[in-house]
Amino acid sequence: MLKGQLGLWSSGTIVGIFCLFGFIAPLVDYSAQDAVNQRERQFCPPAFVDATPEQSRSCPKPTGSFFGTDHLGREVGIRLFKGIQAVFFPGCLAAILAIFIGGLLGAVGGYTQGALRAITLGLIRIIDTLPRMVFLILVCTIFRPSITLIAVVAGILSIPTVATVVRVKVERLASEDYILAHIAHGFRPVKILLYHILWLQCRSVLIRQASFIFGYIVFIEAALCYLGDYGVQEPQPSWGNMIAQAKSYALMSTWPWLFPSLAVMVTIAAFMAFGNVIANRDEGAKR
Amino acid sequence: MKNLLAVKDLSIEFDTKAGRKRVVDSISFQVGEGEVLGVLGESGSGKTITTSAVLGLIQGNPGVVNGQILLSTGDETLNLLAGLGDVMTGNKGIEVKNVRRWDRLVSRRMKSVWGSQMTAVFQNPRASLDPLIKVGTQVAESVALAHPDWTATRVRDKALDWLQRVQLNAPERVYVSYAHELSGGMCQRVMVAVALAREPRLLIADEPTTGLDTTVRAEIVKLFASLIDEENRAMMYISHDVREVLYLADRVIVMKDGVILETSTAHDIRHGYGQRAPYTQFLLESAGIFEGDPNA
Repeated sequence: MLKGQLGLWSSGTIVGIFCLFGFIAPLVDYSAQDAVNQRERQFCPPAFVDATPEQSRSCPKPTGSFFGTDHLGREVGIRLFKGIQAVFFPGCLAAILAIFIGGLLGAVGGYTQGALRAITLGLIRIIDTLPRMVFLILVCTIFRPSITLIAVVAGILSIPTVATVVRVKVERLASEDYILAHIAHGFRPVKILLYHILWLQCRSVLIRQASFIFGYIVFIEAALCYLGDYGVQEPQPSWGNMIAQAKSYALMSTWPWLFPSLAVMVTIAAFMAFGNVIANRDEGAKR
Repeated sequence: MKNLLAVKDLSIEFDTKAGRKRVVDSISFQVGEGEVLGVLGESGSGKTITTSAVLGLIQGNPGVVNGQILLSTGDETLNLLAGLGDVMTGNKGIEVKNVRRWDRLVSRRMKSVWGSQMTAVFQNPRASLDPLIKVGTQVAESVALAHPDWTATRVRDKALDWLQRVQLNAPERVYVSYAHELSGGMCQRVMVAVALAREPRLLIADEPTTGLDTTVRAEIVKLFASLIDEENRAMMYISHDVREVLYLADRVIVMKDGVILETSTAHDIRHGYGQRAPYTQFLLESAGIFEGDPNA
């Protein structure tokens, strides 16, 4: 009980902070251009670490930078914060896309018979055959890389996962006694499918999948930046391109890559855990 | 008495590993308006599959292969099996049915029948209620379907009234409960309320007391008796319990191995009038009812 609560609160707090920052980050004024070229302030350590005499000269106290500065003298803290903005709305977009289309395809594939079912399942399988990472890199090479494009493609590539869990659930439920009873009482099939099956019964798996997809977007953005500058483009900050930039100077200063890496790790872990905890709670409440 | 439902030469078959098996063989029966027809038979006699056929809810291949189910809706008589010949094709002596096309045909036709004309109460009451919706809301949904123009408050009041009429103590408390919070007997009462709130002309009760305690069974049977009497609805009551059927039914059909062995009035059976089929006699005796026992 306590363990479940602990997981809920810790992951929930991180997810909550992430979402809150995601909403307020666009309101905070940060001109990426202005922040460039303050080279005299490069590699300042975080406020909680004692600066070397050399660094003290270029980073006068108080530095005002809690997380230190990167190789261009830009504040890591503000870039971490604005980096959330880069993935938050695209993440929402991908999750909504995958949940709606995937849920609908899964429901149709599980509930209907005949040609419609065959077409739906075929479509799901075709998408499922695409290797996600390779396909994303391919898309980024063909088109101008943008995080929105990545999110849309990643959302579409997540459709099969969502559709399959929903389809299995719908297939199992369609022959349940109470669904037959609802039919016999004259409820409309569309209402039975959308409300009684999809909303009431598949809600928890959809929440779990949405949370996973969100984590996946954070991951894929970082990975694409790292692999070849496909993610969010400089000077727009994102966690991925912060790590990618800082890796060239990895030995000169640890802090510029450590914080975004930790942020990526913690955020993905929190979204995974949050999805699981919420879904398990919802399923537990049903019993 | 005018016929509400007339089943003629109904045959149902299923494909099994051992070949095609005929589970219901050319049965015919009628249910008059306001009449209670008892269907008596042991497990596997085909009584449940017959009700599924009447309801258009048969799952499996090929299902209904022959017959007519005539339902009088008041203004017209619907043949619920119309078009059956078109989906059957002969093939090496065994008829092949286009099940998909048939299912589509049935669900389109039954749209106007399910609920308003007939509805059902199944065995296993808890599984028949949506586990994630408050039972009161389920009754209310049923009321709202029967009266689409009613306001939410009126629907709620009527739903509460139904919970009262199925003799549930503290209807307000039951209204906000979930199925898993209620006992089996309470769930079955709610199920009866859900079915009757839809105001069907024919109620099909498929072994509604199976799996309930003896005392609860008696209460449910009495509940059916009083509600059917009050509303003057027609009912098909399917059971393997002779006493329940004799208590409720006006007329009784006895089924075994997919055929009807005997059709008789409950009155005749109770009083031992006329000739009994040997199997009926056996059923009566195994229930401890001996010939000419008017107290049965």
